[in-house]
Formats: sequence, C-alpha cells, structure tokens
Amino acid sequence: MFTTGSKFLIGASAVALLATVIYGVGQDGVLGTIGLASATVGLMALTALNAILRDSNVFLDDDAPVENTAAAQPAPTGSVWPFGFASGAVVVAVGLVSYQPVVVIGVVVLLATGAEWTVHAWAERASSDGVHNAKVRSRLSNPLEYPIGGAVALGIIIYGFSRIILSLGKTNTTVAFFVAATVVVVVGFMIASRPKLGSAAVGSVMAVGAIAVVAAGTVTGIRGERDIAEFETTTIWQEEALLHPEEYAAGAAEGKHPAGLICESPEEFPEADERASETVGMKSGTYQVLLSESGTLDFDPPGEKEAGAVGMVIPRSSTTNVIFRNDSDEHRRLSLDLGRPYTVTDYESEIGNLDESAPPTQICTTLIEPGGAQLLTFKAGEPSFAYESIPNPNGPPGADGFWFFVPGVDTAKLELIVP
Amino acid sequence: MSARTDVANHEGTRERAARATTSLKTVTTRTQGARLAKVGGVVVLTGLIAGCAKNAPQDTFQPRGTNAERINDLALPVFYIAGVVGVIVLGVIAWTVMRYRDRGQPIPVQTHGKPALEIALTILPALILIGVAIPTVGTVMALNDTDDTECVVNVTGQQWWWEFDYPVQDGCMPGGITEPIVTSGQMAIPVDTNVLIRGTSRDVIHSFWIPRLNGKRDMVPGRVHNLRMQANEPGLYAGQCAEFCGLSHANMRMEVAALTQDGFNRWAANQLEAYESPVEGTVAADGESAFVTNCSSCHQVNGLEAADGNPIISRPDVGVYPGAAPNLTNLMTRTDFAGASWSLLREECRKEVWEAEPDQFTDRYLEGVTDDCFNEVDLREWLRNAPAKKPMYADPTKLAETGGLYRGMPYLALSEDQIDLLLAYLLERK
Repeated sequence: MFTTGSKFLIGASAVALLATVIYGVGQDGVLGTIGLASATVGLMALTALNAILRDSNVFLDDDAPVENTAAAQPAPTGSVWPFGFASGAVVVAVGLVSYQPVVVIGVVVLLATGAEWTVHAWAERASSDGVHNAKVRSRLSNPLEYPIGGAVALGIIIYGFSRIILSLGKTNTTVAFFVAATVVVVVGFMIASRPKLGSAAVGSVMAVGAIAVVAAGTVTGIRGERDIAEFETTTIWQEEALLHPEEYAAGAAEGKHPAGLICESPEEFPEADERASETVGMKSGTYQVLLSESGTLDFDPPGEKEAGAVGMVIPRSSTTNVIFRNDSDEHRRLSLDLGRPYTVTDYESEIGNLDESAPPTQICTTLIEPGGAQLLTFKAGEPSFAYESIPNPNGPPGADGFWFFVPGVDTAKLELIVP
Repeated sequence: MSARTDVANHEGTRERAARATTSLKTVTTRTQGARLAKVGGVVVLTGLIAGCAKNAPQDTFQPRGTNAERINDLALPVFYIAGVVGVIVLGVIAWTVMRYRDRGQPIPVQTHGKPALEIALTILPALILIGVAIPTVGTVMALNDTDDTECVVNVTGQQWWWEFDYPVQDGCMPGGITEPIVTSGQMAIPVDTNVLIRGTSRDVIHSFWIPRLNGKRDMVPGRVHNLRMQANEPGLYAGQCAEFCGLSHANMRMEVAALTQDGFNRWAANQLEAYESPVEGTVAADGESAFVTNCSSCHQVNGLEAADGNPIISRPDVGVYPGAAPNLTNLMTRTDFAGASWSLLREECRKEVWEAEPDQFTDRYLEGVTDDCFNEVDLREWLRNAPAKKPMYADPTKLAETGGLYRGMPYLALSEDQIDLLLAYLLERK
C-alpha cells in the first residue's frame, strides 16, 4: 500500500511527534517546544502530501522501462565496512575519555574502513553487473589491501611472538627459537615436497599457525614479561658507603655486608659479587688489565704494546672499556682510583681548590673467580696531571694521579695516565 | 599508356619512395649515432681529464706509504679485471639487445636449460673471484699486522676534530717519548717508521682516513681499533673523516705531517718544553688573562697557572657534550685549526709548506706559524663567532637533548679588544 519512501516519512513523522510530546511535557511548553511542534507539523504535512500524491512511488508515473529505474537496480550487497566504521567511531569515543593512543587507533580504523566503504559503494554503482563491480573494486583496492594487510598481519604475528619470547626464561627462549625455526623448516619442506597441495590446505596450515602464535602471544602478553632480577652493583655499594656512611656502618655492624668501601675491599659483598663473570659483553677491541699469579698488574692494549710504557694511557673524556682478567689463585676485583674530586664547580674559584679530604672517585668490578674475566667501563673527565700533587693511597707509596689496584694484593698497582 | 603500365609505374614509384625513406632513415640514424658518439666521447674525455688532477692531496691512487701502496697494488689489478669483465658483459648485453631486438619476427622456440653453458658461467666467475680473493685476503692480513710498529699514537675522534696523543714509550724517537704529548688536527710522525694508531671516539662513529698513507678505519666509542701508518717521504698528507658523523662531518679533516727522524725529535722536544708565560706588560700577557677568563674552562694549555701557582685544568666535560676540546698548548706549531678546516698560515706560506720538496719540508714545517705568515683573518672570525664559520650544535636554546651541553664551540660574545688580546697570546703558543 505504502511505498518505502512513504513508510520512511510516516515513521519519521511519528518519531518527531513523539519527541515533540516528550520534549513539550518535559520542558513545560517553552519556545523550543513550539519550534519543534512546528517542524513536526511541517513534516507531517509533507508526509500527507507524499502519501496522497504517491510521489515516492517510482512505478506510478514512470514511463521508462522498469529495469531502468533506480528501484529496479540490484540491492546493495552485504558489507562489513559500515560495521567497521561504526566500531572505529566507538573506539575514538572510548579513546577520548581514556587514552590518546586509543583515539589514534580509532582514527586509523575510521579512515581505513571509511575508505573501504567508499570504494565498495562506488564500485556497486559501476554497472548493473555485480560480478563486474566486484572486479572493479578488487582492481582498485587489492594493490593496497594486500601489502598493508600483509604487513599488519605479519606485525601482529611478530608482536605476538615477541610477547611469547619475553615471557620465557633465557633457556626456554633458546628452545622456543629452535622449535620455531624447526617448524618453519619442516612445514616449508613438506609444502615444497608436495607441489600439488591445494592453496586452501596451505592457507589453512598458515592460518592455524598464525592464530596459535597470536593466541599464545595474547595470553603471555596478559601475563606479562618474565621477572628480570636486578642485582645491586658495585657502584651502588660504593655510592651507598659514601653518601650514607652512618647507615652503611650500621649495616656492616649487623653483618649485612663487609665494612669499608667495596672498591677497597677484597671481601665478598652480597648480590654485587654473587654473579661475577656474567656481564662481560666485549671480547675484543678493548684494553685488558691482567692480574698475574705473582700478584702484579699489567695491561695489554689492542695491537702491539708500546715498549717502555710506564702506565696505561687513555684519552680524556673517552668511554673506556677494560677487561680485567684474574689469573691469580684468589677471587679478586679490579678497582680504579681516579683521585679526589673537586669540591666546587665554579671555574674561576675552582682553580687549584682540591679537597684532599673529599671521598675518592672509585669504580670497581665484582669479585672475579680465578681464571675469570670482567668488564670495567669508565671515563676520566680530567687529566691525571691535575692530581699530581694529590697523594693517591691506592697507588704505590708516595704516588699521585690515577691508579688501578687490586684490594688485598699490595703489589698489584698500575698507573692510568690521562694526558 | 595502358592501365597496367600505369599501375606498374605507380608501384615502381612507391618502391623508390620506400627505398628513399629507408635511405633517409639510415642517414638519420647514422647522423644520430655520430652525434651520440661525439657526446659520449666528450663525456668520457671529461671524466678522464677530471681524473688527472695534479693537486689531489686525497688521491688514493698516489700512495706515499707502504700500506697505501699495498692497497693500490691490490685495487688496480682488481679494477682492471673488473673493468674488462664489465666491458665484456656490457658488450654482450648491447650486442644481444641490438641483434635480437623486436622486428616483428616470430617468437623463437623456447628451450629450458643449457647445462654446459650454465656450469661454465658459474665456474668462470668463481675462478675470477678466487683469483681476486687470494691477494685480497693476503693484503687485508698484511694491513692488519701491527707486529712491526715502532711508535704508538692514540687517535680520538670527536665532533668535529681529531685529537692525537703520544703515550710515554721507548719508540717514535731515540730515547723515546718521556711525557705524554697531546695535539689535534695534525699528527706528526717520523718518516719511514711504522706507526701504530690506536683509535677510538668520544661520541659517535668516525672513520680515520689518510688516503695516501692507508685505508680507512672506523673509530667507535668504547672500542679501540688499530691502524698501521707509515710515510715514505716527508710531507703533509691530508685526510678526512670518512663516516658521516653529523652537522660538520665535511669539516672534520685531519693531516699527517711526516717529518724526518731528526725533525720529529725536534718537534717532540718542542711539544714537551715547559710553558713560558708571556712577558709582563705585553699584549700577549693581557691575552693570557683573557684566555684564562674566556677559554681555559674548555681548552687546556699545559703549564698555565693561576695566580696562586696552581695549574689551571680545563673541564670541557662540564660544557661540551663529547667532553673534550682541542689542547692549545702548542697551537702555532700546527698549520691549521678547527678540525684542520682553516689554515693558520696565509695563503702563500701555506703553499710553501704544502708544496715544499721532501728534503725541505721538515724544516719549513717546524718553523710553525711565524708572525709574518700568521693568517689572522680566519682565526679572528672563528673567535668572533665560531658557529657562524663552522656548523655546530651551539645554539643555547636548542640543547635540551644534550642536557645543555654544546657540540662544538659556542658563540662567546667576545669584544674585538678581547679577540686582539687572545690572538696575541695564541700566536705565542709555539
């Protein structure tokens, strides 16, 4: 009886009327209600006029063949893009009241699904042939959809795999990589050895694998990364002793740690010395400082060592890595005493104002087992001749400047020269 | 004339016209070919002429040291072999393209595989590569050998200059080096001596390269890389940082001054001479005060003392991101400054040094920067506004990433009077 257009107008009029009544009752006859009622009346008049004249009935006065009318065109095919677009809008809304990155994700979803929806709608009007329209859409969209979709899918899989790896322990990580590589090789070999295998079968295997990785990644991602223990370092012990001497002394009195500075102590400190030899990250391109069995310290630079060297020379302000090798029979640490620092920072007043009572600048390795090695990284911001007049108690008797030394081994001294 | 004759005449005319067109095309093609040949000839000739520059201080094909000669002896034959292979390959491709170009002929029968040819085309390049690899590996190993070095120099790269320090050692000269020497921009070495360079960097990766003496070596923060260097004859050898290292990478130059052994001894002795303050009452003496006030916080001058007699120690790590600034103790014993980018010598004096005969070079170089030869202009401009002369990260409003520390020398807002004083003082740093 009524055409689709008429039904729409009748429904709209009914909703408008209902809204007007609700608003009018709620607002108690204010000016807005009058305006809204006027608009509703106008809409109802239009609806009545349309129903009487049947203007929205394409068949009524249309002389053209039925198949040429708009109403006779194929109905739009099903599309997921409006749903995606609406989802994007929701994500944006959620992001606006939560976190900014969520807004960005929503905008990306909006743009992507909006573009797809636009292309989809445009292609459906290309012709009355649905198959042709689908080809038109594919020709335009696929060159973008495939690479972007592939990259996104790959990114999700890689991200999922990374979550898995981060949740596993060191050994299990190695195993996981081995298993993953083995699976890839085996599956690849199986697929390659059966050239007649259908694309559906291959795709299914890949999809199952991808879903498994993403699912495992999601689970492990929610569980969080593995606990990575943070151990106290020698630097922390050194700073603790210098900055909080009273608490440090109290801890030593309670037997929690040895007394004295860690860099001047041959004793083992909890945690800092427990994991010796596990942090050597470099094996070449560095100086080596060697503690011999007889208790002497010597250095071995990359390349030939200069004949007649009186100490190890490094450039000023240059990050220097030294590998300490303990060839003695005892657990030992290598320490470096860079003298006592200046106590003022203003240049003009700083000149010559060294405070001999100030705490030393020291850095040291952990206790290294016999035959072990450890890396010591340091930087000397000042030249050693700046400390010519400042005695260094960790050097030989009467020495000044910078010195490597080994706590507990009086004969192990090596001068560090910074020109 | 019959209709048949008319037709025959008409066809004959068409044939003649076709032949004429073909002939015209041939002539046109020949003319175009000749023109292309001329243009190509000019391009090739220009390239050849450009490669014949007489003054090419960074020409790796003019080696002046054993190591550079080794590289050259390897590179040239490889270049020739690669050139011959390249010409053959390109020639075959060109011939194939021309011979089998599309003329509308039917597609020939497709065949799959030609084992004999494929094996031959695999073995031949493999043999060539093996032939190249053997001397290459030998040369690389020879270049990395440091057993025969007799003198050690620590080289440190920093945005955008090079520092050279000579550790205490028995080598380099009779009697050895008794105190560390620090200089920058120009590295002095004794001629005919294998020098071991121990290189590192304070900030980013740099690459040390003196093309006429040896190949490149990356200088990496936290690591020490070795490079052997030796010069056959006295002279100045120019180099350039060969790893992009930031804003003024192009201005990070360096030079090696190869001196006779006696000349190197004199150079080293001069570097270790005790500091002498300028004579009181002179402009240079006032300049010393100006230097202490404006420059000594970053630039070290060994021996410079404060009024109380204590040594003045620079602390460039407080204001400069990489943590160092050039040591200016003997500035005027080198011939350039600011990453060897500007000369301390006037042009004619600079030419005298660079173009000195090997037997005269050492004496001329050791004269240093004399009053007559001093290029005041560039150094004055540098002191007036260093960032304007050399691009550096020296804008105090844009140092957030480095915690307020400069990369390079900042603008010091020195007055012209202060600059006069500093120039007088620096001119005495010999």
